[in-house]
Amino acid sequence: MSGKLYLKNQVPAILVNLMGMLALALFLFANGNQFQTVLFIFTVWFIILTTCLSVVYYARKRYLNQLLDMAEQLEERYLIPEIMTIPRKADEQVFYQIMKMAEKSMLEKIGAIQNERKEYKEYIEQWIHEVKTPITAMKLLCENNRSSFAREMLAELENINQYTEQALYYARSEHTEKDYSVRETDLCDVVHSAIADNKYLLRQSNMTITINVINNRVYTDDKWVRFILNQIIGNAIKYRAEQPALHFSAVKTNDGIVLSVSDNGIGIPQSDLPCIFEKGFTGRNGRIGRNSTGIGLYLCKRLCDKLGIGLAVHSENKGTAIMLSFQLNDFVTGVQG
Amino acid sequence: MNKILIVEDDFTIQAQLKTLLSGNGYEVFAVTDFSQTIQQIKAFVPHLVILDIKLPGNNGFEICSEIRTFSDIPIVFVTSSNTDMDELNSIMLGGDAFITKPYNTAILLAKIAALLKRAYSSPQAEFFAWNGVTLHLESSVIEYNGQKAELTKNELKILYYLFKNAGKICARNDIVDFLWDNQLYVDDNALSVNVARIRDKCNKIGLTDFVKTKHRQGYTL
Repeated sequence: MSGKLYLKNQVPAILVNLMGMLALALFLFANGNQFQTVLFIFTVWFIILTTCLSVVYYARKRYLNQLLDMAEQLEERYLIPEIMTIPRKADEQVFYQIMKMAEKSMLEKIGAIQNERKEYKEYIEQWIHEVKTPITAMKLLCENNRSSFAREMLAELENINQYTEQALYYARSEHTEKDYSVRETDLCDVVHSAIADNKYLLRQSNMTITINVINNRVYTDDKWVRFILNQIIGNAIKYRAEQPALHFSAVKTNDGIVLSVSDNGIGIPQSDLPCIFEKGFTGRNGRIGRNSTGIGLYLCKRLCDKLGIGLAVHSENKGTAIMLSFQLNDFVTGVQG
Repeated sequence: MNKILIVEDDFTIQAQLKTLLSGNGYEVFAVTDFSQTIQQIKAFVPHLVILDIKLPGNNGFEICSEIRTFSDIPIVFVTSSNTDMDELNSIMLGGDAFITKPYNTAILLAKIAALLKRAYSSPQAEFFAWNGVTLHLESSVIEYNGQKAELTKNELKILYYLFKNAGKICARNDIVDFLWDNQLYVDDNALSVNVARIRDKCNKIGLTDFVKTKHRQGYTL
């Protein structure tokens, strides 16, 4: 509370006191009182006045600072009327009432927006569910009528499918707690599934694939890991160079298994490396000619964080390597014996 | 011949699945009247049922439960939904497999074959024969006139495909597709290299001009 302004506000009260003092002074002098007496009265009056003003000022300031602190520490500041003590002064009570009205309207608005968001998310999930039917139908039509035309269609269908999966996981990424289940997974199976998901795109880009992953079992959610690998493979296809090659390998470490996916594509510039997992980051590569939503790696990071998988990227001028580290904690191996 | 019943309400998918499965040697029937699903199952007596979850009338789960009251036949759930809840339900209600749309047809066919093998223990082909040449699948060996040559994984799979389509011309792309479906990721060049090696091995056992090239079309036996 600004002291200067407070003083300014008290000017009317001070003026009234001064006028009172003046009137009394004139009266006392007129009644033949001595100057000393009058001075004494006014000194006492003055001291009482300033003490009162100071005490009230400091008490007020302390109360208001407490209130300010409470507001600063509160995360949802619009809830302050719930936490503060109801003021006892008549005019403050009116302000309090107004604050409560503002809080109520804020809560209603937030509730409405959250509902809107929930409905939209449900619509998106429903849409994705529905669109899978025509995608499936097209895929079957193409596979039953194989030709070079059909193969190109199948590659584009894989693209469509990757985008719908990305949208699905993005819509779900806010509430991931409800949709993952950790169970024993063979990394080899997941790798092969992810490759199968991108079969026609990989063939179309003439990608050479080498795999060095044998029967590595970890505890994780196989669907999510498959999605993550799909994003990585998608990037490898998008940002490939001449004679593209993709290599999968799994290495046992002290406390787990590291699955590496490396390609010989155009790589990621050093300046972009720290930001690739940010939402909406398309980087230099994403902007030059190739479309990128900037969501793929962001989702990978989010999902890895939820599952406790370490995610690391390495890229030097040419080629990119992404490492997924799976923990094999003592509890698990202890149970297995 | 194994009989498969399809319960899927999207007409295109239904028709294409029928084409796919009959092309792979199954006798297929697709349910069209979804108020009579159970009756149709009882009438057709399939060896395996492919069941969609979202259906008009009773949903896939209800149908599965009902089937389980009178039969143990393998049931494959196919669905757009890939939530864990649905997968769990399908297992709890007695389903044998859960495949999400859009399906990888190779995986779908493989699962069907595996389930049928498990349920009816039909004898698997252990070898193929064509024009006096035998391909031994278990031992990965090709035999002619008593002479044998060992084959690598890739070579075995390529020959398996050629034998299965013996007499027909196999397009290069189709062979590569087949290899990829079996987790052997060879590209076009590698295919040529592998075929050259196969021919080499064939020559060594006195088998000449076995794998023929049809210019611009593919290979054939």
